[in-house]
Amino acid sequence: MAAYQENFFTRGPSPLARVTFFGLVAVAVMIADHRFQALSVVRVGVSTVLTPIEHALMLPGNVVRDIGAYLIAKDKLLAENKALNEQVLMLSAQGQRARLILSEQTQIAVLNSANERFSRDGVVAEIIRDARNPFARRIIINRGLSSGIKAGDAVIDGVGVVGQVTALGMSSAEVTLTTEKDQSVPVMIVRSAPATAALPKSAASNAATLATEMTAPGTEIVAAESAPASRAQSGLRAVAVGGGREGTIELPFIPVAADIEVGDELVTSGIDGTYPAGLAVARVTMVDKNPALSFARIVAQPSTAPDHHRFVKVLTSTGTSYPQPDVKTYDLAGSAKGTQTKREAKREAKRALRDR
Amino acid sequence: MDLSPVSRDVLRPPAPLRLVLVSLFAALVVSLLPWAGWMLQARPDFVLLLLLYWVVHEPRSIGQTWAFALGMVMDVADSALLGQHAFVYVVAVFLTQLLRIRILHLTVAEQALHMLGILFVAQLLYVGLNLSLGRDFAGLTLALAPAVGAVLWMPLHFVATLPRFRRRSDAVMM
Repeated sequence: MAAYQENFFTRGPSPLARVTFFGLVAVAVMIADHRFQALSVVRVGVSTVLTPIEHALMLPGNVVRDIGAYLIAKDKLLAENKALNEQVLMLSAQGQRARLILSEQTQIAVLNSANERFSRDGVVAEIIRDARNPFARRIIINRGLSSGIKAGDAVIDGVGVVGQVTALGMSSAEVTLTTEKDQSVPVMIVRSAPATAALPKSAASNAATLATEMTAPGTEIVAAESAPASRAQSGLRAVAVGGGREGTIELPFIPVAADIEVGDELVTSGIDGTYPAGLAVARVTMVDKNPALSFARIVAQPSTAPDHHRFVKVLTSTGTSYPQPDVKTYDLAGSAKGTQTKREAKREAKRALRDR
Repeated sequence: MDLSPVSRDVLRPPAPLRLVLVSLFAALVVSLLPWAGWMLQARPDFVLLLLLYWVVHEPRSIGQTWAFALGMVMDVADSALLGQHAFVYVVAVFLTQLLRIRILHLTVAEQALHMLGILFVAQLLYVGLNLSLGRDFAGLTLALAPAVGAVLWMPLHFVATLPRFRRRSDAVMM
């Protein structure tokens, strides 16, 4: 007779009161999480419980995948090895150049008594899975708070920027991809100049002599001189915003007259302090300059494809990684100015009294 | 003349709380599988389905407090904004509580139709919340999830009412 009795003796608040209460609490939680990011403790706690379960669930699939990788053909490994060796050679040359530039930069930094702009510390993490949320473009990685990752850290792979850490667990983190709608990256537009313009002077002259040998002198002049003049313009700064569902990146609020073309590369400009400068973000695939509109519609394709590989690097940023305002000049210019002048005025007044 | 009791649930012994909790946990585990792509969009909300089932059949032990708590867990699991699932679950459980007595009078197929409505409202709320956050609409496959959930109601009812899950002593007492 349970079904009858419970209607006679209802205990506690009515369902309507309860739904009002819990609904309001849920809305408050949403606001707290969305606007103030105030509930990371809840997230860390719950995900600490859930992560081991997820690991256990993914274990069979991972074992199958690893066995498949173990049985992979020898030829494929050899080809990969060769490709990697070539890449190492290329990168070693770049690395040596980078080391030279770095040493110069540190000297300049010492002269300027400025902080090093970016920490190069990072944690290599494995992509576990995509987030189970059809509305969000996020991936889950297997490192979290225990590896020193913080919310807001930049995530890169071998090619360029992947995204930014937006939520954390003890041993997992959510990375929001750059293609997510509310995700923005400060970028600089880099135009890959033609080969002759990109080479240093001696190499360019070599190329020029080669060109004279092969073709008529008139065309050589065109290749060596007019090309850099017409194409090397670049360096426009902008903010790249994720395109959402299409998996693209867009550049909003760029004037129609701006110097931007299909094929231009977007690299991080580094002015936000989150992303180190010079990382590839995307390549422009469409420029729609409709004079009727005040802004051009610019669409770019992201450089990285995190679905295609397994490892990323999280750049664990230090507190002051971006260029800070110079404290000394700030003090002189701003707050300290008033007090010092007051003190000096007092001293001067005292001196004046003594002198009398 | 039909002398069967008004509620078909009356002669059924109550489910042990252990069964309720284990089934909810199982639903959570199924949701934690690495769903992706269209499968993710068409994935029925297993936790909500189980929750609604126990709200209909065990209203004394499972109510809106559970809805809120499980919603928060699902928010973390699905990397959603905290409170989204909680809000949706609380509203869905409220609707089920309103319709509960009526649902108990119906056949299982008719119950599934009612669930279709409730699950659809829940999905609409969830999608609406996401759209209001400025996210893109993820596709019409999302409408499949409530339908799959409603279809699953029937096997769920069959399994959950298997005699082996019920306490014999209670059955004798009734």
